[in-house]
Amino acid sequence: MAKKSNKMVYVVAMLLFLGGLGYLVVSGLTQDSVYFLNVSEALATDKADLGQARLFGKVSPTNLDIAEGKLGASFDLVDKVNAGQHIRVVYKGALPDTFKESVEVIVEGVFDHDAGVFNARTLVTKCPSKYKEQSEEMERSKG
Amino acid sequence: MHLTGYIGLLFGLLASLFLAAWAAIAAWTERYEGLVLVERGQLAAAGGVVLSSLILLVALTSRDYSFMYVADNVDNALTFVYTLTAFWGGREGSLLFWELLIALSGAVFVFSPGYKSLAPRTKLYFWTIFLTIQGFFLLLLTSWSNPFIEVVPPRTDGRGLNPLLRNPGMIFHPPLLFLGFAGYTIPAACALAAFIAGEKKSWIAVTRNWNVLSWMFLTAGILLGCWWSYMELGWGGYWAWDPVENASLIPWFAGTAVLHTCIIESRRGALQRSNVFLMSLTFLLCIFSTYLTRSGVIDSLHTFGESGVSFPLFMCMVVGLAVTLVVVFMSERHVTRALSEFLSRQGLLVAAAWFLLALGLVVAMGTMWPVISKLWSPRPLGLDAHFYNRVCLPFMAVLVFFFCLCPWLGWKGGIRNMKGFILSCAAFAISFGAFYATGMTRFWPAFGAASAVGAMTSIVLLFAFYPAMRSLRRNWGAYGIHLGVALVALGIAFSGPYKVEREFVLKKGEVASIEEYQVKYLDLVEDSTPELRARATATLEVSRDGSVLGYLAPDKRIYVNFERQQFAEVSTIFSLGDEIYATLLGLTEDDGASFKLSINPLVNWLWIGGTIMSLFPLLLLRRIARPGEKGDA
Repeated sequence: MAKKSNKMVYVVAMLLFLGGLGYLVVSGLTQDSVYFLNVSEALATDKADLGQARLFGKVSPTNLDIAEGKLGASFDLVDKVNAGQHIRVVYKGALPDTFKESVEVIVEGVFDHDAGVFNARTLVTKCPSKYKEQSEEMERSKG
Repeated sequence: MHLTGYIGLLFGLLASLFLAAWAAIAAWTERYEGLVLVERGQLAAAGGVVLSSLILLVALTSRDYSFMYVADNVDNALTFVYTLTAFWGGREGSLLFWELLIALSGAVFVFSPGYKSLAPRTKLYFWTIFLTIQGFFLLLLTSWSNPFIEVVPPRTDGRGLNPLLRNPGMIFHPPLLFLGFAGYTIPAACALAAFIAGEKKSWIAVTRNWNVLSWMFLTAGILLGCWWSYMELGWGGYWAWDPVENASLIPWFAGTAVLHTCIIESRRGALQRSNVFLMSLTFLLCIFSTYLTRSGVIDSLHTFGESGVSFPLFMCMVVGLAVTLVVVFMSERHVTRALSEFLSRQGLLVAAAWFLLALGLVVAMGTMWPVISKLWSPRPLGLDAHFYNRVCLPFMAVLVFFFCLCPWLGWKGGIRNMKGFILSCAAFAISFGAFYATGMTRFWPAFGAASAVGAMTSIVLLFAFYPAMRSLRRNWGAYGIHLGVALVALGIAFSGPYKVEREFVLKKGEVASIEEYQVKYLDLVEDSTPELRARATATLEVSRDGSVLGYLAPDKRIYVNFERQQFAEVSTIFSLGDEIYATLLGLTEDDGASFKLSINPLVNWLWIGGTIMSLFPLLLLRRIARPGEKGDA
């Protein structure tokens, strides 16, 4: 009998645990999910559907304005595959060391539909943990 | 040499596959004399892998640019230490390094007393599984990820290592993770083999040291990754909930859960099936971790080159999980024991395992959400750091809270020391009130920090109330690790939500204020070294209430081989309270400079606690008794 009552307590505890976990996960999924989009995907999306988003792309070599002292930049974020597609990004804040033209960046923020720009709250350049970008950098430096 | 290196791996592959099949047939037909061949064969296979690894190492140190791998990861200007670390710095080399550790683990395990104490049938099943895993890695290395590709004609200089990777973090972080990943191969294969063969000897006892060491290496690797990110990469912190960071955390949660549930099996004989499943799952999650980092399935901050290994890794996970489920559910039923009541030490250990597994599941699900959401959404949906903080923070806080209570409960139930229980709870309650009163008004961080204080009080009181505990090394090990966890929790609870960050543009002599600190920009010095084409170092004086606390010297540098890019080195004023952290962002035309300054409260307790967590497992290692010898295994 003792074993049975133990089992019941474990079942109840497990249900409570799963209930708490489920509640937190569902509330997190409904409130904290954002679109993860490449530039081409963002451009193909109905602007009314786009609020908060995380965009992946490259910094265009043209139209790159970096604030003096590296506190902010506005630039064209171009699609990694289709270089013809771009979105204007405005970011106010410290730029990472590796921020420069043609580098891959991830920006998170909201679209300002009236101004036609993406106001980035965060801007992160990809960590060159590995090899391809670094190789291109070396080729250019030595070239 | 390229061919010799490749043949070493090919030999290892063929030997592993042949021996795995041989071991399986021998186990099936119960002809145990075949075991000797398998054991010697593993030594030979490991020899092939060692030979190949030595060839790559020699090629790296002699900068033999006829090896594509060397040309891609080393250059003439690179210092010797980073030339060595290039072994695990590149895609193919890191996989070879992992395989080398697996092969050496197998070779060492053959001679260990724990292995010798196993029944021959278990040993044969162990080799069947282990050699299949080893063969899989060698298949990757001989086909999709070959480190011995030749460049004709050879280059005169290589592409070198990115300056962000020239950091002590690069020397220790990746190999420690690989040591952890590779180490889990032995307990996972042993658990499955023991379950299939109905082994009398406890696989938990036999592989205890492997399990503890693997966890220790994984913990240390993750911690060093955090420190590296904090000091070098300028992402504004030690954890960004990035897919590549999460990748190593997921197996860590499973590995930590299994360490706890193994205690229950060792002491009470319960959870036998669960432990085999969790042990195998931990290993499979190490494979999942590699899959996440190398498949490019999720966009990450890290630029890991995509490679052909993603599909084989995915298949390895699927097949491995299927085999595990078949073994766990189809094998002969083992002794089952009921658990004690829930409010017992055993009950809370089970709950702790649930929490850890839930955290692993949440992190895995959150990381994979852009892929999962594609099932119903035309555009991928991802989860940002808020999601992880919302879900993980309460779970981590409650997990630490368990440690205020757990040591005072009896194994079967009831409170074994009411005084200790009340004092620990009081420490929790008082500190919670104190944190709240001093402005730490966010519930879960305050709860987590108070739980950490309660847990530390618990540990101190335990050693005070039970003098006999002090004489046992394993108590120091186990409680030391939990003390480290409490310190880490304290560090995260303060430095995460209460970090203050500001950016300033200052001219020489100007003062900026951040919180109660005043920062004065004193000077800028420019110089160069053989490695650095140019370096600008700013000097900042930090004071509070008129008294000088110290000086910061953040710099901005341009490396010789990377002239188009500037890199910053941060500077900190160490403190066990508020650490002041400065980055030089850039120089302005009118003799000014821009800085990013932050106050990171109690952040150093994270590193101190993490170091304790990474060292105290050494006290848990035990000598395993040889067959016929009396011991504590």
